[in-house]
Amino acid sequence: MHASLRRVYWWLIAPAVLLMLVFYIYPLIQVLWISVTDPVPGLGNYSELIDRALIHRIWMTTIRVCVITTAITVVAGYIVAYTMAQVGERQRTWMMFCVLLTFWLSVLIRAFAWVMLLRTQGLINTGLQELGLIDQPLRLVRNEFGVIVGMVHFMLPLAVLPIYSNMTGIQERLVSAARGLGASPWVAFKDVYLPLSKPGLISATILVFVFSLGFFITPALLGGGKVVMISEYIQVSFEETLRWGQATMLASTLLFSVFLSLALVARFVDLKKVFGAR
Amino acid sequence: MTLTKTLYEKDLYPEIEDAGDSDFARDCVEIAAKRLEKGEISRRTFLQAVAMLGASTSVLTLGGGSAKAAEEVVVVNWGGPAVEAYAKAFGDPFEKATGVKVVIDGTGPLGSKIKAMVDAGAVTWDVCDTGTGTTLVLEKQGVLEPIDYSIVDKAKMQNIFAYEYGCANYMFSFILAYNKKSVSAEPTGWKDLWDLEKFPGNRTLRKQPNGMLEACMMAAGKSPKDVYPIDIDLCVSKLKEIKDSVIAWGSGSQSQELFRTGEVVMGDIWHTRANLLNQETNGDVTWTWNEGIVTAGMWNVPKGNPAGLETAMKFIASSQDPDQQLVLFDAMGNGPANPAAAAKVPEDKKYIDPGQPENLALQVLQNGPWYQEDSGVRNLTNDELSREMWLDALSS
Repeated sequence: MHASLRRVYWWLIAPAVLLMLVFYIYPLIQVLWISVTDPVPGLGNYSELIDRALIHRIWMTTIRVCVITTAITVVAGYIVAYTMAQVGERQRTWMMFCVLLTFWLSVLIRAFAWVMLLRTQGLINTGLQELGLIDQPLRLVRNEFGVIVGMVHFMLPLAVLPIYSNMTGIQERLVSAARGLGASPWVAFKDVYLPLSKPGLISATILVFVFSLGFFITPALLGGGKVVMISEYIQVSFEETLRWGQATMLASTLLFSVFLSLALVARFVDLKKVFGAR
Repeated sequence: MTLTKTLYEKDLYPEIEDAGDSDFARDCVEIAAKRLEKGEISRRTFLQAVAMLGASTSVLTLGGGSAKAAEEVVVVNWGGPAVEAYAKAFGDPFEKATGVKVVIDGTGPLGSKIKAMVDAGAVTWDVCDTGTGTTLVLEKQGVLEPIDYSIVDKAKMQNIFAYEYGCANYMFSFILAYNKKSVSAEPTGWKDLWDLEKFPGNRTLRKQPNGMLEACMMAAGKSPKDVYPIDIDLCVSKLKEIKDSVIAWGSGSQSQELFRTGEVVMGDIWHTRANLLNQETNGDVTWTWNEGIVTAGMWNVPKGNPAGLETAMKFIASSQDPDQQLVLFDAMGNGPANPAAAAKVPEDKKYIDPGQPENLALQVLQNGPWYQEDSGVRNLTNDELSREMWLDALSS
């Protein structure tokens, strides 16, 4: 590339870089700084990660909920995306519409809708009771189960879209060729289609997992106060107890854990390829 | 690599604030806003107050000569109808009496904002409308001015709500609310809330321990006068006893929602929300003052407030007038803090005023000093330790 042309490109992205520096990198450094200086300089806040049972518990809840949510979402998303890739144009448009539909609803409304469906006197419990399938209403919401239902629902489009866009690039002829050479439908899927759809699968997994880590509202509403995830505790530390050192420590830890999960994935796959940078 | 930034739901949905936890002062605004919407309180009285406010302001500016001469005091509350209500109740009388302009700022005096202002040395607020919990937290942070009780009159509030760094602005209660249709008998105290056999079904307690610990102590058999000092371990074990049947509320509207959807049959909630439920269910949901926990909305003054300490204290002292407090009670439902106001409450409103002598006699006054004491654990106050242990027990 010509050197002067390259300089033009740099100038073109300069405003974006500047914006990132002022409004993202600088506050981020401040957050890190507070986490090692408030209330006293040192790593005291970080030692709470090891010392305090409450923080262990909150982290364990966060990781457990995120892993389960991610697993269910990605499998369900894969099935939806696979179906979308196979059906005709008309059905595909409708399926896409339905997937995106949930994106247009407020997260609060979605959470309340789940409460209405899942509560003790909700549609599902009364329905099952009237059918005589259960005697006592099931506890479907205001607990971890409810949180996971709500989160999977929220995340599904985030899994479907990358997987589907990856699948549109897979040549069906390859599967047909495998079948022609004597592979059973399952073997053709497992050995040909699945490996080809791996980049979409991985980017969906990362997207959903990273997004889940920072979840706040759905656990707060559907968890009935009993499923406290890291974001909610950051909010409590920041706004209620004013322990900013602790809040920023947790926020920094959250950020590091995102980097860590990306680094782990990067050991096995080429992330640049997954995100289309190469 | 666009994914290194953690995405939050908050980025996508700004209305997320609605689902957060709230304290009482903020909740009152929400309630009043809805009443105004439904036309239960007249906007005309508000507008009159505003007109008067505007008039006196212009007179002041004319008489003041130089533009900078007019002193002003900035009072911060939770906005919406509270701006007009506070202007009418407290702002206008203070302006008339002293000539100092009162600006009601509805930004919401979040503890974190007050701390940030004081830390940055850029304080623009004089008097803030917070709660006992926020006052205690801010006190520990060292960002408040002490209340000057040579100007503010301790006798015009329940003595126990005269904190060193905050004093009562109004009173409200945590009470036992229940749905008559879902219980076999009327519960009369916290022991009943813990009695899962006699009163099956879910109940609601607050996510924060303030107002819940007292209920736990009484449920454990302590008489109302022996609630303090609170045994936090005992309270936590009481919570664990019924935790499977507990749904926790964060904001006042959530506590109301839980009764509305029939998810809970009883709970420890604010009396103002119980009253709303009582109205909308035609009396099905009701409450008892028995073993209620009375607490207070608090006036705080941030360190280095612009109008000066004396002006801020004079404003607080002025707001102790029973008639002013009745204006606020009428508009927003905040129970007057001054015991002298109790007799002036109209007969048909007495049943919703926690400060009526017959209601007070049934209740416990929340003991702020206990919350401030050192817990003996990791340098935390009882307030801080109980917040941690309560959250831990709820989420375990």
